[in-house]
This record gives sequence, structure tokens and C-alpha cells, in this order.
Amino acid sequence: MDLSPVAAAVTDEGVKSAGKAIALGVGAGLGSIGAGIGVGFIFGKEIESVARQPEMKSELESIRWLGFALTEAVAFYTFIFGLIAFFLS
Amino acid sequence: MKTRSKVLIGLGGYLALAIAMLLIFGNSGKNEEFKPQNEFKLEEWVPIHLGSLDLSINKAVLYLVIASALTIFAMTWISRRMAQKPNRVQTAVELAYDLTKNNITGGNMDTATATRWFPFLGALFFFIWFSNMIGFIPLPINTEHTVNVFGLEIPAFAIYAATANISIPLVLTLVVWISYHVEGIRAKGFFAYFASWLPPGLEEMSPFGKAAIFLIEVISHFVRLISLSVRLFANILAGHLLLLFMGGGLAVLLGIAALGTLTFPLAFAFFIFEVGLVATLQAFIFSTLTAIYIGGATSASH
Repeated sequence: MDLSPVAAAVTDEGVKSAGKAIALGVGAGLGSIGAGIGVGFIFGKEIESVARQPEMKSELESIRWLGFALTEAVAFYTFIFGLIAFFLS
Repeated sequence: MKTRSKVLIGLGGYLALAIAMLLIFGNSGKNEEFKPQNEFKLEEWVPIHLGSLDLSINKAVLYLVIASALTIFAMTWISRRMAQKPNRVQTAVELAYDLTKNNITGGNMDTATATRWFPFLGALFFFIWFSNMIGFIPLPINTEHTVNVFGLEIPAFAIYAATANISIPLVLTLVVWISYHVEGIRAKGFFAYFASWLPPGLEEMSPFGKAAIFLIEVISHFVRLISLSVRLFANILAGHLLLLFMGGGLAVLLGIAALGTLTFPLAFAFFIFEVGLVATLQAFIFSTLTAIYIGGATSASH
């Protein structure tokens, strides 16, 4: 197979911008998977707990939002580092 | 069946509109002029440079001043005109006050510490809340693009938040970080405070193992600096970026006008999500974590 057109297309600039695009895509994408699982887990467990003990609902509410925000932030960490790689490097 | 067909017709018509837009306007190629990062660039309005120190007045400073002024004046104004029969605003503020006093402060530390630290935590909550909320009100701050109104150049309307800039959450975090260490040392004494970082139940461990765990605890205290500041910053910045891209930025960047028909309704959904949940939740989280850190530093057991 003749790969010379591919080799000719590979420039330092091209590799750099491809790397940046991969950083943003992988950063935002993989980060969202983890945080998505985590947020789903928190809400699922909270529903389960309320179903078991409905009288605990008000107490669980604030803990749920705390857990939600802490987990959700993980997605944004990766997103922000991806954006830093994309725009600022 | 009738509702279902209505929904299907609506969705189909909407998709057909998007496809028709694509056929009419087509693809005008990638737009190289529009740079999304410039929406967050801080233009120097009043340049102040002290050596290498940049103290220029820019839009972040404006938002900071508005948020501080709103926090101070709104709260003083409401507390001055407290009535026996509260109106709607007073009820809402009393609810928020109750949240900061009993839930955030009271729930995470003992009574003496809570009394001492409630003013700080309440101010922190309301300042971050106002700062996040005015970030979603369009203000004429975009001096890069001006709009000509009867010969008068006025800056274009844009949204920005002080908390969408890393400096402000980082400063808030540093204040919190230093103050909880100081409070811990004041409550327990210098060496006893650092000894209390070790979790209980390690009495039979060798000094080497204790040192390793202490090192991990030191790292975790420094990671709090990053996690607390970046959580607030990234949430607000990501919200603003989403609004920017959904509200037309993506269509302009890619040069496909039809994409705007699909993304623009999403911008409304994200706006409601950001204003209704994220802005308040991040203020709540920041002050709750601060309360947890101060409570953890002062409580007797770890």
C-alpha cells in the first residue's frame, strides 16, 4: 500500500491540532461517562432510600444535591482541561 | 393515538424546517474569523499597570462590583424593611437565610463555631449566588463588538460571570483554605491540629506508615484548593460555553445556518437548567464544603 500521500499530509501543525482535538474529545467524552454513571448512581440510590424510608426524604435531599454537585463537577474538570488543551496551548 | 400523531407531525415539521434551511442556506464553510475564546477575553477598559502587576479594570471587575453591591444592598435593604407579614421577596430571603444558618452552617459544625462562622458562610453563599445569577443577565459589556444606535456606539449585549474566571473562585478558595487552617490551629493548638489530620485507629502503626498517611493527608488538603475553586469555575464556565455554542456559536463556527434551528431551543433548556439549578447549587456546594472543612478542622474527633 502506498502511504506517501498520508506521510506528506502529516505536518507538525497538523499533528498538533489533531492532538488538541483528541484531547478535547477524549477529555470531555470519557469524563462525561464517569460522571454520568456517578450521577445516575446517586439518584438511583436516593430513590431506593426514599422508597425504603419515606420519612427520611427531607434529610436525604440536601445530601443528594451535595453528592450530585460533587460528582457532576468531575465531568467539568475533564472538560475544562480539554478546553485548556484546545484553546490555550 | 391522536396525541402521538400530533407529536410526530410537530417533530417531523420541525426536522423538515431544519432540512429546508440546510437546502436553502447550505454550508458556507468553516468560519475562521469567529473565535469563541474571545467571548471570555478580558478587554482592558481602564489600564492600570503597576510594574508587572496588571490591575486593569475589565468586565470581570465590573461583575465583581455589581455582585458585591447587590449582596450588600439587597440584604441590608431587605433586613431594614422586615415586616410582620412578609411579602414574597422577604419570604424567599428568609428561606435562603434559614438555609445558610441551619442547614449549611448549623448542620456541619458545633454551635460555638457555627455562631462565629455564620456571617462569613452566609456572605459567601449570597455573594456567589448573586455573582452566578447576574452572569445570566445580558449586559452591554462586549466592547469588542459595538452596535451603532443613532450614531452612538454602544457595546453589544453579552453574558459573563465573575465566577467564570478562575481568579475569583481561586481567591475565595484561598480565603477559605487559610481560614480553616487558622481556625483549626486556634481550636486545637499547632501540633495537635496537624496530628489530628491522621485518621483515628492508627495507634499501633509504625512511624513510617504514619508518615506515609500524613503525606497523603497533606496532598488531600492541597487538592482541596484545586477542587473547590475549579468546581465553581468550571461549572459556570461550562454553562456559559454551552449557552454560547447552543445559542448560535456552533452554527456560526461551522458555517451551517440550519444547525441553529436545532441547537437554539436547546439553548433555552440549558438556560433554565443553569439559572434554576446550577447557579444556586454551586453557591450551596461552595459554602457547604467550606462549612465541612471548618467543621472538620475544629471538631474533636477527626
